[in-house]
Amino acid sequence: MAPARPTPFDSWHVAVPATLFAGTALLSMLAVQPVLVALSLGGAFAFSLLSRGVRATARGLAWQLPLLALVCVLNPFFSASGSTLLFKVGPRSVYAESLAYGATMGALLVATVLWFEGAATALTQDRLLALSGRRARALPIVASMASQLVPQMLGRAKTARATVAACTAAGRRPGLRDELTRTSTMLLAWSLEDSVERADVMRARGWESGRPRTSYRLERLRRRDAAALVGIAGLLVACAACAWQLCATWRFYPTMGELGPWWAYAPWVVLVTLPSLEQVSQRGTGSNWDTPAVSQFEPVPLWDTRPTRKGGIR
Amino acid sequence: MSALEFDHVSFSYAGATSPVLLDVSLEVPEGAFALLVGDTGSGKSTLLRLAKPEIAPAGKLGGSVRVFGTDPRELGAQASARAVGYVFQSPDAQIVCDTVWHELALGLENLGAPEPEMRRRVAETCNFLGIEPWFRARTAELSGGQRQVLALASALAMRPRLLLLDEPTSMLDPLAEKSFLSLLFRANRELGVTVVVATHTPWSMAGYATCALAIEGGSVRAVPLAEVATEAPLCVPGRDRSRVVARRPPSARSSRPNDQKHPVFLRKVVEKARPMTESPVADTEKDAMLADDVWYRYDRDARWVLRELDLAVGEGEVRALVGSNGCGKSTLLATLAGVARPARGRVRNGLAASQALLPQAPKALLSCETVADELMAWSRVGGYGRAEVADALARLGLEDAADRHPYDLSGGQQQLLALEKLLLVRPRLLLLDEPTKGLDCAERERVARRLAEVRDDGATVLLATHDMGFVRAVADRVSLMFDGGITCTEPTDEYFANSWLW
Repeated sequence: MAPARPTPFDSWHVAVPATLFAGTALLSMLAVQPVLVALSLGGAFAFSLLSRGVRATARGLAWQLPLLALVCVLNPFFSASGSTLLFKVGPRSVYAESLAYGATMGALLVATVLWFEGAATALTQDRLLALSGRRARALPIVASMASQLVPQMLGRAKTARATVAACTAAGRRPGLRDELTRTSTMLLAWSLEDSVERADVMRARGWESGRPRTSYRLERLRRRDAAALVGIAGLLVACAACAWQLCATWRFYPTMGELGPWWAYAPWVVLVTLPSLEQVSQRGTGSNWDTPAVSQFEPVPLWDTRPTRKGGIR
Repeated sequence: MSALEFDHVSFSYAGATSPVLLDVSLEVPEGAFALLVGDTGSGKSTLLRLAKPEIAPAGKLGGSVRVFGTDPRELGAQASARAVGYVFQSPDAQIVCDTVWHELALGLENLGAPEPEMRRRVAETCNFLGIEPWFRARTAELSGGQRQVLALASALAMRPRLLLLDEPTSMLDPLAEKSFLSLLFRANRELGVTVVVATHTPWSMAGYATCALAIEGGSVRAVPLAEVATEAPLCVPGRDRSRVVARRPPSARSSRPNDQKHPVFLRKVVEKARPMTESPVADTEKDAMLADDVWYRYDRDARWVLRELDLAVGEGEVRALVGSNGCGKSTLLATLAGVARPARGRVRNGLAASQALLPQAPKALLSCETVADELMAWSRVGGYGRAEVADALARLGLEDAADRHPYDLSGGQQQLLALEKLLLVRPRLLLLDEPTKGLDCAERERVARRLAEVRDDGATVLLATHDMGFVRAVADRVSLMFDGGITCTEPTDEYFANSWLW
């Protein structure tokens, strides 16, 4: 088994990447300006390469790039406005401006998707749940059970259908509708059966024992996390202000407007490269120590099992 | 002081006519490692659960149950959760959370333990059981053995003084079982936790135990450990004779209709004569199934599960596939059944039109409302009727349960029911994945007898299993699987004679 990729922003409290990615994605969606969109796309792409790897990114691009091209090409046919006539397709005129608008929107769409995909690698479900408030203490349990249920049911459905397919002695495979009915009934009964035992397990471990529940937090908000949060918040405000200015002076129709001063892009550049910079900086943090290799899923070692009479230590 | 004490306890389930426990008196001293043995349905789980009121079954209880001198019902939910830990049978159903660390902390969270205390207990438990390397893993990625260790850890994190375990290793492979038991043993000896394990394989843990209790007919008696320390061999009548028969081509011993016209004695003569005229080595033409250089993986990026695999199974043979967990046995069965397509290589299955697969989880095969409907499900194709189903129910000992939902049966009974459902359509090829998982001795013997009958009927059987006692009793030949391929194939006796392990 190939070693799993490390989680990006592993060394930060989950609030840090959550704020960063939420802010970046939100600003990217709102700032419809070609340069900002291009920068955002570049940043998202770089982070995707670093966090998800070349293969996964390429697989995503296989549908994202055609989507970008499609939006770009189709837009002139829906909004035929602009001033620079490129050519005519039948009765429709294709203007450079509307082509540019389409390309910008397509790139924005792809950038947003890439940001979300990248964010998903850093914000795993259990990390996100740690952000839930102290009042919603049962929520992580419910979410965690639900998240197990779906893959488990899919797996079981697969087993059940494979079993039916393998039992050729029982005649032809039933029709799709019959099989779906049969499988869903079975999965429901199976899950309900499990839930009875799971309820017992939870009761046996003191569920609803009367005390208010506490929660085990895997991560604690430290001073540097707080500092990072303040920094990111400041950066987001700066980006929002600059983007506001840039978008105000920019227009697509009838002629494309001014791109604005170069320095107004600086905070945006910092924002979209920040995730990648964090990834790159983390790569250099491994020490030169010769650490013993411990596989994550090594089986439990077998201890000497000969009975030895040793007194209890209590 | 006794950790657990039952004084003339009787119990009957709400609505049941006869009691499960009649007059149970027992005493488990503090620090003991007690085994509780008995057949499926004898009341082992009921007995254990009575000591844990949160999960005790509803019904009429007589006599007194005491945990460390106190009636557990007077303890309250919190004190009971602290004092008594409980580990269940199913590795799947007893994991609540999706990450290991959350599962470990769940009980402590429920009890409202302060965070520093929780951290300490979780850390110590992980240290003690050696589960730190997968502390942050997702529970879905764990093996069955790791899941059971996690269940043990989650119970131990609450620092119970008494730990009750209901068939904790019956769903595990032998290696995982040994790992689990060694940890349980350490909890008992090093932490002083009193352990009571209900089991139907007492020999696997007799070395650790300090006492054994047998539950029979609703009452409990103490039995000497020596009595439960050895595994009784499975008794399958006619085993030796049938194995000789099985080496011959099935056409000689098939009892399919076209053979029935010959008198029995004549068929016997033919059978006896055939080995003299035929070459002892089965040639490939007689193979029911053939896998030639098969490679398989679940995903293009995944590792090879099967690699360079060659296998030939003769028609009418009972072949056992043995090998450690995750060596690809189930995948091989799926490939041979035609459910999984090999990435490279060739699979030829001459019996593909009349095959049946028993999956590891029998529930995947059970989809009807009642036991009787379940057996009737394939009656049209199988050409059988109510009479055959009634016979099958009688064979299973489930005459009274015909109208019950299959899920109300015990795990072992579900397994037998699923097998019987397959056998009713008389498949010529039977693929079985861990057919004895979670079964008690009597049920294993029943499966072994059914397989012997099926083989005498001329069907080919390929079974993947960890149960060596079962392999000894039913298989003609054994194939050892390792690293995705077949390492060796030998006749059963020869395999065990040459084996260093078994």
